[in-house]
Parts: sequence; C-alpha cells; structure tokens
Amino acid sequence: MSDTIATEATESPGARPAGETTQAEATREASSIEMKGLHKRFGRDTVALDGVDLTIEPGEFFTLLGPSGCGKTTLLRILAGLEEADDGRLAIGGRDITEVPPHKRSVNTVFQSYALFPHLSVRENLAFGLKMRGMSPARREARVAKIAEFIQLGDLVDRRIDQLSGGQRQRIALARALVNEPDVLLLDEPLSALDAGLRSQLQVELLRVQKRLGMTFVFVTHDQQEAMVMSDRIAVLNGGVIQQVGPPRQVYEHPVNAFVARFMGHDNLYPITARDGDRLTTSLGELTAEEAGQGELLLIRPETLDLLPGEVAGENHLPAVVSERLYRGSHAEYRLEIGASTLQATLNNRGRHLPEVGDRVTVSVAPEDLVTLSE
Amino acid sequence: MRKRTLKRGLTGFWWFTLAFLYLPLAVVVLFSFNASNSAATFTGISLRWYGRLMGNEEILSAFANSMILAITSSVIALGVGCLIGYGMYRHRHRKLGWLIVLIYLPIVLPDIVFGISEMTFFVQIHRLTGLLQPGLGTMIIAHITFQIPFVALIVYSRFVGLDPTLFEAAKDLYATPVKRVVHFMLPTIKPALISAFFLSFTLSVDDFVISFFTAGPESATLPIYIWGAIKKGVSPEINAIATLMIGAVALAALISLVFSRRRQA
Repeated sequence: MSDTIATEATESPGARPAGETTQAEATREASSIEMKGLHKRFGRDTVALDGVDLTIEPGEFFTLLGPSGCGKTTLLRILAGLEEADDGRLAIGGRDITEVPPHKRSVNTVFQSYALFPHLSVRENLAFGLKMRGMSPARREARVAKIAEFIQLGDLVDRRIDQLSGGQRQRIALARALVNEPDVLLLDEPLSALDAGLRSQLQVELLRVQKRLGMTFVFVTHDQQEAMVMSDRIAVLNGGVIQQVGPPRQVYEHPVNAFVARFMGHDNLYPITARDGDRLTTSLGELTAEEAGQGELLLIRPETLDLLPGEVAGENHLPAVVSERLYRGSHAEYRLEIGASTLQATLNNRGRHLPEVGDRVTVSVAPEDLVTLSE
Repeated sequence: MRKRTLKRGLTGFWWFTLAFLYLPLAVVVLFSFNASNSAATFTGISLRWYGRLMGNEEILSAFANSMILAITSSVIALGVGCLIGYGMYRHRHRKLGWLIVLIYLPIVLPDIVFGISEMTFFVQIHRLTGLLQPGLGTMIIAHITFQIPFVALIVYSRFVGLDPTLFEAAKDLYATPVKRVVHFMLPTIKPALISAFFLSFTLSVDDFVISFFTAGPESATLPIYIWGAIKKGVSPEINAIATLMIGAVALAALISLVFSRRRQA
C-alpha cells in the first residue's frame, strides 16, 4: 500500500488499514475502459476512426500502435475528452462518459509537447490540477511533495520551466498528471522528442511507475520496439480500424495480417501458391508447417532461421546464396537469394561460423516456427 | 585600411541619423529650461516655465483631459481588443483574411480621414438622437477605435506564440472554462496586456488630428491646447509642456517595449 501516492491515509489515520483494500479495489474497478463503435471523421473525406471496439482492463499497460494518421492519437484524444466521437460510446469504470467534458473526467494526459505552463513554476505546474479541483493549499503541498519524491524530482520542483531539459520536462509532465491520481493515465508519444539513450532509460522508469501504481496506462506510439517493451497488450491500428489486439508476443509472432506483420518489422512474407495439408508451396520452395492454418501468406521470422554451410539435404531445408551480411556484434543480419526470391535471416553471434557474402548455404527452419496469415 | 575607413563612415552615419532624429527634441528640452523667454538665445538654466505651467488653469485642465481620455480609452480598448485578439486566434484556421484586413485598416487609414469620418458620424447621431454631444465622450470613443487594432494584434501574436496544447492541458487538468481564463489565459498573456495598455496610452496622448475633430469646446487635451497656444507664438511654456510629454510618452513606450519583450518568461 506504500505504493499509492494518496496522502489521505496519513491525514486521517482512523481510516486505515481496514478501508484500504476496498478503496484500492474500487480504484481498480473504476479504471477499466470500454469503447463501442467509435467513429470519427474530420471534414468530409478524412476518416480517423471507423468503428473501434476495445476493452482495456484495469491496471493494464495498453498501447495503441500504428503509423501516423492511423487514428491512434484521435482515439487517445477521445478518451481524454479533447475530441468528441461522431458515433459510439465510451465508458470508464462502467460509467458512460461519452459526453462528459475533459475537465470532469478522472483522466489525465501526458502530452507529446509536455505542455507545461510557462507562466508557472514547476511546483505550481504540479499543483495545477489539484488547485483546479479546489484542494486546499496545505493538502496540495503534501501531494506535490509526495509525487516529487515518488518520481525522484529532487530539487527540480523549485526551477522555472525554461530551466529544464527535455528529459526533465518529460518527468515533470508525468508527475503533473500522476499527482491527480486519475483512474486512467493517457500518454501521447511522451518519449518521441528524446534521444535514444534517454528514451530507453525513461521507458524503464515509466514501466516501473506503472507497475508500482497499478494504474491503467494507455500509451500511444508509432515505434513497435517501444510498444513491445512497455505493453501488457498492444492494439495495432490502421486506417481508423483495429487490426489486432493482443500481448506483444502474440502480435509479433502471430500477426493476423500482412499489415500487422510488416508494421511489426517482418519482411519475409511469401504468397502460398499451392498447399497439401500442412505442406505449403511458395516461391522459396516447399515447406512444412506444424499448423498451416488458412492464411494465404507464409511468414518466416528472420530469427527462427538457421544457416548450415554447404548443401545439406533434409526437411525444411532450402539451398541459398548469401548476397549481403550486416555484422552487428551481438548478431548478424543476412540477405539470402533463393531462386528469384530473397529471404532475411538473423543469426545470433555465439562463436559459431558466420557465413560470408557469396557463400552457398542451406537455410533450415522448424515447422513450428512457420506461420500463415491473410493479406 | 579601407575597411576601417568604411567602418568609421558607417558609425558616423549612425550618429548623424540619431542627431537628425533627436536634435529638434533636444532643442525643445533645452529651451524649456531657458531663463529668458527668448527662443533664440539661451541665457541660463531655470525652472520658471515649469512653475508657470502649474499656475496655468487652462494647461492643468488640458492635462487632466489628456489623462482621463488616455486612461479610459486604453482600458476599454484593452478589454475589447483582447477579446478580438483571442477570437482571431481561435479562428485562425478559418479563411478570415478579409475580416482581419478590416481590423487592421484603421491602422493605415490617414488620421485626418478617420477624424473627419468620426466627426461627421457623431454629428449625425447627435442631430438624430441628441446623444454624443462633442466632448470627452466622443473623443474616448474615437480613441478606442484606433487603439483596438493595436491591442488585438499584440494579444493575437502572444497567443500564436504559445503551444496550442497548453489550452488542452488546462482542460485536462480539471480547469472549467472560467478557471481556464483566470488561471491560464490571463496570466499567460499578462505581459502582452501590459504592453498593449501602454502602447494605447501613448497613442492616445500623442494624438492630435482625431482628437481635434472629435473634441468639444470644454475638452481640449494637451496637443489641442498647444496647437491653440502656438498660434500666438512659441512660448517657453510650450517647450516645458512638450518636454513633459516627451518624458511621459518615452516612459510609457519603454514599459510597453519591456513587456512586449517578455516572451515565455
């Protein structure tokens, strides 16, 4: 319980500890999100959301992933109340809030540009939401002190906004939203303005904060790596429609269609030209899958492949020529030619022989690693 | 060597331009402290003309009129112009080009055309309704009309310089529409408002042409008084008034400048 940032308990000692669990459970329940048939159109021709149904569980780190213009930001803005859906319903904690204005929603946002008020100090920025809700200065002060300690802001609270670096602003923006203890926290590409090193550091920090608070986080990003690192579940969006919802491994290893597969970084997609049970014919040759499924595309993940020197006969063995090798230290990325087709492979560098450009090799893949999907 | 000569030449040109701009003012200031009433020879430093000002009821009343006019019109123009500036910002994505031009037109319109139009308009209204008797009231209205565009422009450009997400952050952090104005918008544009007020103030104190056409017999401001007095010849008293006005306007302009430079402080 030390993980809540509430100060109510310390201010009214009589209320604990009996009331705590029930309060925590109530918070959990209050933070589920249900979206039904959400539609949004901008102007006459731009469809931002085309019927979105989605349920987000309490305490989940949920990511909306997709390319720019896919509708992920619009969906987040509808959750915040900054945009109104043309059609459909939205409920948080079982309460319909479709028409509730943003200032009456127990939802806070970490904006991409951070949106810290330039006329206020860091401390005043942190207290802004509490002040608007009419909390007394003494209680505000206590809550701000507590969140500053929780996010480890140190002496940042006494700075002016223009004295902060990008990473510091990001953490202040996070603290300014969390201090209100919303049912749901929304994050609109909060790390996209930061350089790579700081970014991965803050990814870890953000994840720890979410796990400790058990708060529902809805996170928007276009970076599939970031989505996989952070999320309990991911929804992949394209053209205002949800393509797939699932845990990172499922979305990465079993994409439901070519769009999701390509967006998750897969290039090895081959049309199935003929099939006999689990035996599939593609431009690469004949391959046997464990469970072929009904899809008309074969997906071969680069990291599931093995390269054997020379020509080795066997099931799911394909003769190939190395046309490109990118050595990356921990692993090497290969481009292989099989007839008129090309295939990407990734080999872990664990002291084994790494074939070189021009080498003749045999590609080997296990039947259980082959997945089919539809276009 | 040639580069050095050029540099010296340009520096000289800078000082020449400054002299060109400020020498006439300097002469007025100097002669306001002249001990004699000669406009040609400086005989010694004295404050007698400033003392004479204090005893001149006509000048004191003109000064009072100028202040009432400048402060009242600036306050009202600030309120109206602020709303217009915000409206222009809110609807900046719409195609409002010609409307914006209508707001700016008074800035470039010749004062004399503006003054005559205002006068004609007020006379017609007065003839029909008995309202708008020429006097401080009509002058205040006329001054507001030429101050509004400046206020609107300053407020608008302050809003444009802000991150638009700030408005959403205020909503997201539980601020009702009224609280957004009080706790976010007004404090954020405060430097712009102060700057706009002092600019309006100087515009009003400076104005002669429009004031002249819209004034009544009892509402002479300092510029109108000076114009009347000068027909009898330039007296050292006029120099003293002019010096005080230079000081007041310079101060107001300086305040306006300081606050307009306070960007995202």
